[in-house]
Formats: sequence, C-alpha cells, structure tokens
Amino acid sequence: MTDEPDVPGEPDDRELRARLRAGDPAASLPPADPRRVARLLEDIMRESTDTPDTPGTTRAGAAPAAGGARPADLRHRGPLTWLVAAAAVVLIAGAAFVLAGRGTGPAHAPVAGAPTSRSTTHLTLPAARAGARCPVVDTALLRGRDLAVDATVRDIAGDRVTLVPRTFYAGRPTDLVVVRAARPDPTGLDGAVDFRAGGRYLVSANGGVVSVCGLSAPWSRHLADLYAEAFGS
Amino acid sequence: MDDDGRPFEEVAAGLLEPLRRFLARRTDPATADDVLAETLLVCWRRRAELPEDPLPWAYGVARRCLANARRGERRRTRLTARLSVVDPPAATTPGPEAHDAPDPALSEALARLRPEDAELLRLWAWEQLGAAEIAAVLNITANAAAIRLHRARGRLRAELRKTGDGAGHEGSREGESR
Repeated sequence: MTDEPDVPGEPDDRELRARLRAGDPAASLPPADPRRVARLLEDIMRESTDTPDTPGTTRAGAAPAAGGARPADLRHRGPLTWLVAAAAVVLIAGAAFVLAGRGTGPAHAPVAGAPTSRSTTHLTLPAARAGARCPVVDTALLRGRDLAVDATVRDIAGDRVTLVPRTFYAGRPTDLVVVRAARPDPTGLDGAVDFRAGGRYLVSANGGVVSVCGLSAPWSRHLADLYAEAFGS
Repeated sequence: MDDDGRPFEEVAAGLLEPLRRFLARRTDPATADDVLAETLLVCWRRRAELPEDPLPWAYGVARRCLANARRGERRRTRLTARLSVVDPPAATTPGPEAHDAPDPALSEALARLRPEDAELLRLWAWEQLGAAEIAAVLNITANAAAIRLHRARGRLRAELRKTGDGAGHEGSREGESR
C-alpha cells in the first residue's frame, strides 16, 4: 500500500463515495421548523448574554463543568424541539448570508447578542503554599471546576488583576473577570498563576476561587485542548 | 470582547443544518437534538475563535460534544447494569447506518472497520469533506488525513471483497494501492 495523498477524482473512489452516500441515514431527514430554530438560537444567545453583575463570586451552581454549561431551559427541552429546530436559521439569516458571501464577510462585524451591559466575574487567587504538591493536570480534574475561561490580562493594579475574556468554557460569561490575590502581589506566586499584563491565560475556578497547580496557567495549546475536552467544546 | 467576523446568526445559518445531519447520522434523535444545542452553544461561546470556514471546526465541536454525551450514557448504562445485574456487553456500537440499511454488505463492511477508519469514510462520503477539511475536524494534519483516508478506503474495499462484493459494484480489484 502506498501512502499517496487523497485523490478524490479517481473513478473507483467516486463510485465508493457514491455507494456510501446512497446509504446516508440523514438523506431523508426533513428540514427543521424555522420557528424552532429561531427559538433555539434565541435561547442560546440569551443564555450567554443575560448576565447581570454578579459581584462577589461566580454564581454558585452557575454551570456544571462536564459536558459544557447548558441553560436549564435548553437542557430540559423536549427532543422534538431540537429535532425540528434547524432550518429556520436559514430563513432568518439566509439573506444576510447570501449578501455577505460564505467566508468572505467583513471581519470585525458586531456580534448580535453581545453583552450590552458590563458584567464582571470576581475570583480570588489563593495564596500559594510552600512545598505544595500538584497532581498532573487532566480533564477529570478540570471537569470539577464550575468556571473556566480563556482571557487576556488587561491590567494589574495592586492585588487586582483584570482580564478580558475571549471564551468561557464553563460558567456564566461576563465582560470582565477580576482576580484578587490573597496576598498583595498577584504576580509570581509559586505554584499559582504568574499573571502578566497583556498575557493570555486559561483560568479555572471553583466557588469563586481560582484553581492553581497548573489548572490555571498561561495559555498553551496543550492546556487549551484539555479545557476543550473537559468542557465539551 | 474581541469577537470577529460575521454575526452569529449568519454563521449559524450555514452550520445548523449540516450539524443536524452530522448528528442524525451518528446517534439517536433525542441525543442528536441535545448535542446540537450543546454544539451551537459552544460555537456561540467560542465565536471569537471561529475560522473563516467554520463548518469543519464545528463538526469537531460536535464530535467532542457527542463523545461527552456518550460517556455520560455509558456511565448511566454501567450503573443500570450494576443495579439490575444484567450485563449486556456491547461489542461495538453500530451507527444509524446499521439500521434499515439499503446496502447491507456495505453497512456490514463499514461496521467491521476500526471506528477511526469508519468515521473517516463517513466524513468523506456523508459530510462530503475533503482531506483538508477532515483534518480540521479531527485536528490532524491534512497529509495525515489524506493518508488515513486512502488507507480506510482500501480497508473498506478489502472488507467488501471478503464477502465477494466489489467496492463500487464493479467487481473486485486486486490490491489496495494504486
């Protein structure tokens, strides 16, 4: 057998593909009900934007980590809601899609449903313990966190680190994440998180307390993959 | 927030129906519905990371969400098995294609492949993806995807030959490489 690259145009491949495609179990799947699709998207976008200020800590029980955070009304929706739910988006946004052209739309267009009021998640960074032993970071450990976010440090003022989130893997999304250190200088804590202005970090927390020992750290592909796997994204 | 690109509704318009079909091909309707919602929620939350062609990326998200759902289901099944002292070992988990298959020989051959090979072939044939797009779904290099896809096609043909069935209804061929 040779390791030649994919050659999609070869007749045998076309035949095989056609034969496989003839058995496509979704071939007879009818389009979804546009109204239900619209409602689905509305629920999803509202879930992420109905974010009142939550001073103090992240909300208790805001979102289970494993399997991703789903709003209660999404989780308990009947199967038919989703089954029929798909095609409406085409109706809702089809015109815009055609106008913009697939993949050629202008960058930096405003995202509909983005938060309109400033909201902040407040976290506490625990003091590092001398000689603390850290387990190997894995998805099982991460899944126990009720908040996980990919964020960039906007500024550090005293014991306060302000981060601008890029992605919430778990927990209720907010415009800002503020971490207060248990000691005056939040930078360079042994075993904790070495926050630097402008740096991008993956931060997880439980009950408003930042998880350290490698669970929160400067962004890396490896840790980002672990976050994505742990939180189903 | 530094969200780039098109409004989410517009992106979702291109994603939703393919994702819905992707899931319908791989799981039962109720799970497909749940995972569809989960996948779109992840896409919404990670909209700042959506690539210019978001569909393969979204398929990758759907795969992981589906895997999570299956893990949860397996946990529930194990618990149920312990409680009822019934132990139905599932050798393989046939996809929806095993049911009501219009081409039983092909479905059986596909079921005999390694799951990774079968999934490559499904992505290739059902989602109509090329090697580069499959690479994006599986988070591997395009070259690796092309090689694996080539091998998977060869293995499927070999399985079909075992039952006296040519790969494309055209009679068997010798060897897998061309």
